Amino acid sequence: MIITAYLREEHRECDTLFAKAEEAASKADWDTAGVHFREFADETLLHFKKEEEQLFPAFEAQTGNTQGPTMVMRYEHSQVRGLIERMNDAVSTKNKDAFLSLAESLMILLQQHNMKEEQMLYAMCDRLIPVDTKEQLLAVMEKVSL
Amino acid sequence: MFGQQNGLSLDQAPPIRVIFRFFLIASLFGMGGGIWLAVFAGDIMTERSALLALTHIFTLGIMASFMIGALFQMLPVIAGVVIRSPLPKSLVFTLAFVPGTMSLVAVFGGYQEELLYTVAFILLGFALFLLIVIMLPGLLSVTHHTPSSKGMTIALTAFAFTFIPGLYMTGILGGFFDGSNYTIIRAIHYGFGLEGWIALLIVSISFQVIEMFYVTPPYPPLVAKYFTTLVLSLLILKVPLLLYGSESSAAAVDTVIGILLLLFALITLRRLSQRKRSVTDASLWFWRLGMGNLIAVVVSALLLKLGSFGWMLGVLYISFVFFALSIVFAMFYKIVPFLTWFHLNAEGYFSAPMMHEVIAPSNARRHFWLHLVTLTTLLLSFALPALFRLGGILLILSFGVIAWHILSAGKLYEDTKLKGEKFDLGMGMQG
Repeated sequence: MIITAYLREEHRECDTLFAKAEEAASKADWDTAGVHFREFADETLLHFKKEEEQLFPAFEAQTGNTQGPTMVMRYEHSQVRGLIERMNDAVSTKNKDAFLSLAESLMILLQQHNMKEEQMLYAMCDRLIPVDTKEQLLAVMEKVSL
Repeated sequence: MFGQQNGLSLDQAPPIRVIFRFFLIASLFGMGGGIWLAVFAGDIMTERSALLALTHIFTLGIMASFMIGALFQMLPVIAGVVIRSPLPKSLVFTLAFVPGTMSLVAVFGGYQEELLYTVAFILLGFALFLLIVIMLPGLLSVTHHTPSSKGMTIALTAFAFTFIPGLYMTGILGGFFDGSNYTIIRAIHYGFGLEGWIALLIVSISFQVIEMFYVTPPYPPLVAKYFTTLVLSLLILKVPLLLYGSESSAAAVDTVIGILLLLFALITLRRLSQRKRSVTDASLWFWRLGMGNLIAVVVSALLLKLGSFGWMLGVLYISFVFFALSIVFAMFYKIVPFLTWFHLNAEGYFSAPMMHEVIAPSNARRHFWLHLVTLTTLLLSFALPALFRLGGILLILSFGVIAWHILSAGKLYEDTKLKGEKFDLGMGMQG
């Protein structure tokens, strides 16, 4: 389960950064909120890039299915990207109500997305992709940058 | 779940009006229950039939409506089970379920017309059949269950096990069957309904949403994997024990289920305290209150085994109602704003209202306090029965708030669709 373990850990790191940004925003500490939100956004977008450029193509090559779960996951990534952009605007304008409200939507969207990946997609990748390929994949993902 | 990819995405969820309609029906039943309590307050302590009517307003009118609405929404998202043509299916279900429930409540409430038993028997029987046909085959065909989707299957099975003896008893009262084993059938009906359907559906939804909404560590794997199966097995085990007159063994099984539910409540409270998101909102307090009430249910049920205290039975009853209602309200304050935003956003409306614009957090907080005052008033009513009437009025207010939130969210949704700016890939911007 090396794929699951690696990518699940990234989800957890993003959650922690997000929680810090949300807490700071709730106290109107915009400097801290801005720092943590940018960290969260960078980590999340990097994670998406690893999946979209490395993991999903490997899964699609293994299963021959490009219209299935990876398509749904890509679509949900685009929804999250849209929300991140709007939250970034809320940080810039120091709009607490907008930030906390968008944060609520983003968290629900992201958590249900993460659960589907962790419980299903990653588990399938771990099961279907040969060990050698998985190890190479992890090494490549480790080098991906924004 | 990935075998049915179309159900994986939230946008495969049914139209928003399906869920809102169920929630609105539930809140209207809730207001009806409040009116009932305010008008017949004096009978609640003395007339068994008045209590029976109120109980079925709660279990069928309120809880089943909320929970079936939530299942229409959650089955595609959590279990990957797509319900085709949800709008007509839910409408036909509602047209049988609502008058069926009203007939049953009316006949329990003193309107002694034998025909009503027949109407309730036929309509509720049809509604159950429809629900099982709509939901159970899809759930049973899921190959990779999550703890949550497995729990929902189990809760729905328990619902069928509740409904069948319920229908049988309605048939006895309507003169279709003779009345043998009535008290045993009633005990089975209670067990599957309260410990099975209501408690297990809440448990299985918790496995998914506690982690999702509040970013907590997941439930312990053993609990997530076996809890719902274990409780259902114990409930099934209780049936032959009751049928063969081994009441003490059946009571022992109930004690075990009670301890398991206590454990669940404690783990949930612990998980909430371990959440990464430090921001608190009304839904979090509703969850805490719900779990506090579940603990009160188990403690008062265990104390009742030691001796019979009239007021303790009242505490048990009210705690169970407020355990279930608190969780329903906790979910409501997340689901309604999220769905309103989500559907409009997914349809491309730039002006999709944000969650806090659908229901302001301050309004949700005010409702929590109203809910807490209602609970306190009803608990005190067992010492001061004059307070039942006030409790009824508070219930009308509380469900009135819920109905108002649904209608406002529905209006906001429709207004945005009518006037909102929408991005269309082929057409560019349009009004």
